[in-house]
Amino acid sequence: MTALALSPLATLSRRRLQLTARTPRELLVPLLTPIMFALVIAPALKTALHTPASYESYVAIGTIGLLIPLNTMFAGLGVIVDRESGAQRELLAAPVPRALLILGNLLVALAITGLQVGVLIAVAVARGIDFHASTTGVLWFLGAAALFTVGMYGAAEVLASRAPRQEEYIARVPAIAILPWFLAGALFPITATPVGLTWVARFLPLTHGLALMRYGLIGDSSGLHNIWRMSSAPEMAALSLGVVGLFAVLLTGVSVRVFTRAALK
Amino acid sequence: MIEVEKLRKVYAGGVEAVAGIDFEVAPGEVFALLGPNGAGKSTMIGMLTTTVRPTGGTARLAGFDVRTQQLAARKVSSVVFQDSVVDRSLTGRRNLDLHGRLWGVEPGEAERRIEKLVDAVGLRNLVDRPVGTYSGGERRRLEIARALVSSPRVLFLDEPTVGLDPRIRAELLDILAGLRGRDELTILVTTHYLDEAEHLADRVAIMHSGRIVALDTPEGLRSGLGRELVEVRVDGDPERALATLRSRGIARDDAFTVGSSLTVPLNGHTSSEAIAAIHELGLASAVSARQPTLDDVYLHLTGGRLADAA
Repeated sequence: MTALALSPLATLSRRRLQLTARTPRELLVPLLTPIMFALVIAPALKTALHTPASYESYVAIGTIGLLIPLNTMFAGLGVIVDRESGAQRELLAAPVPRALLILGNLLVALAITGLQVGVLIAVAVARGIDFHASTTGVLWFLGAAALFTVGMYGAAEVLASRAPRQEEYIARVPAIAILPWFLAGALFPITATPVGLTWVARFLPLTHGLALMRYGLIGDSSGLHNIWRMSSAPEMAALSLGVVGLFAVLLTGVSVRVFTRAALK
Repeated sequence: MIEVEKLRKVYAGGVEAVAGIDFEVAPGEVFALLGPNGAGKSTMIGMLTTTVRPTGGTARLAGFDVRTQQLAARKVSSVVFQDSVVDRSLTGRRNLDLHGRLWGVEPGEAERRIEKLVDAVGLRNLVDRPVGTYSGGERRRLEIARALVSSPRVLFLDEPTVGLDPRIRAELLDILAGLRGRDELTILVTTHYLDEAEHLADRVAIMHSGRIVALDTPEGLRSGLGRELVEVRVDGDPERALATLRSRGIARDDAFTVGSSLTVPLNGHTSSEAIAAIHELGLASAVSARQPTLDDVYLHLTGGRLADAA
């Protein structure tokens, strides 16, 4: 057995994975809405509004911006279950740094989100939706998706640590996971909204994440241009990756702090 | 093995749960913190297991400071919590294995220990079932086994039998008594059950409002009230009856009242002499003699019964 498999982080991730595998709805439910968007709503919009075929690709990637927040928010519910009826106190009494409790959960959320994004793209391709990505493009896409997932999981941990009950957690999910999606250029460019909202969108990590993912998977840099107003696509992509990276680092740091403070009396 | 010095906890809002406590527990000793809910017992365990931040003072487990050497302190200890703290959708075996891995027990060794412990706590037929299907008593036995997988030097048991029915509680007490002397295991148990403290502990600290009001062996604590006492059910005003008994030299300062009852330790009198004198005074509707219990000790020290306060 390798040293990695014996490490506390691997143990905590394995635990979370086993708990998640016993509640398949956590894997399936977040997929339903995005797949419906990609396969039903996008083609319907294309037909009704006479948009070009590329719009389906545009919306398919836009739905990833819904899938990631929904999935990470579902993952955050596990933290509340741990606290209310699970083994959280046992884990807090274990001789491992408490930040690992969050990182163990994060690794599983990242893996499951990756799997779901893969399924979504595979289903979209099977439905005839076109992506044309270079190796570099795939790396931009993966970087953006992974960092945005990390940041959103941090947000879910913060919310779970602060929400006293599952009901209150669920009540706050739409504001965090769904509202930004409507503003961040998932279904239409951010410049199509009033100027004030365009400016709001430029500060949303999701806007940067979606623009990067589109740049990576379909070579469309218009989203990046709408944010930065610059001419060099790689430079704009690097800047947006920096924003999403900062979001990931900040939210992970905050989540560790909030979790530790909330869990210890 | 456990050294506590001036340990104090004040929660937000100014509630002082533990008010500067000192005690030491020797290696292999079973030490009980006895007191009602709200006495500060669980807060004390929380501080010793590093899940509650002390406001002041120090505490060491096997020499490791719980404030500055948290990981080392947690490594040498395990805890069985008052409430069930398990992953219910996982099997009992997986819960045991998880503890072993987090405490750094080599997997082969963990497996051997788990096999032994499963038999010791009588969970052989259940261990591969999800914990959600266990009864409360079975879950508690699993949690005790789990705490032992890492062969801790210090074991904390926070109200280990609370909420269990009497038969399961008796079974569990037998299991806990069996831990005595196990590889020099030091045990700190909190409880508000007198029999539990008497049955399990070498020494008992009685806690009241965040303070230790008495600390001794169970025999030592009881002997403070003499070898025998009489309990008097009083017809009229118990305080007046107590004053009368004191004026006649039957009761001393250690006698006390609870509701309409008087408890009178017999210092120098025989029970038959005391009972005859009480009857002669016409104070009592019922009088009986018995040996002192820890409840009497607690009552004498705090003015309240454990069972009432718990």
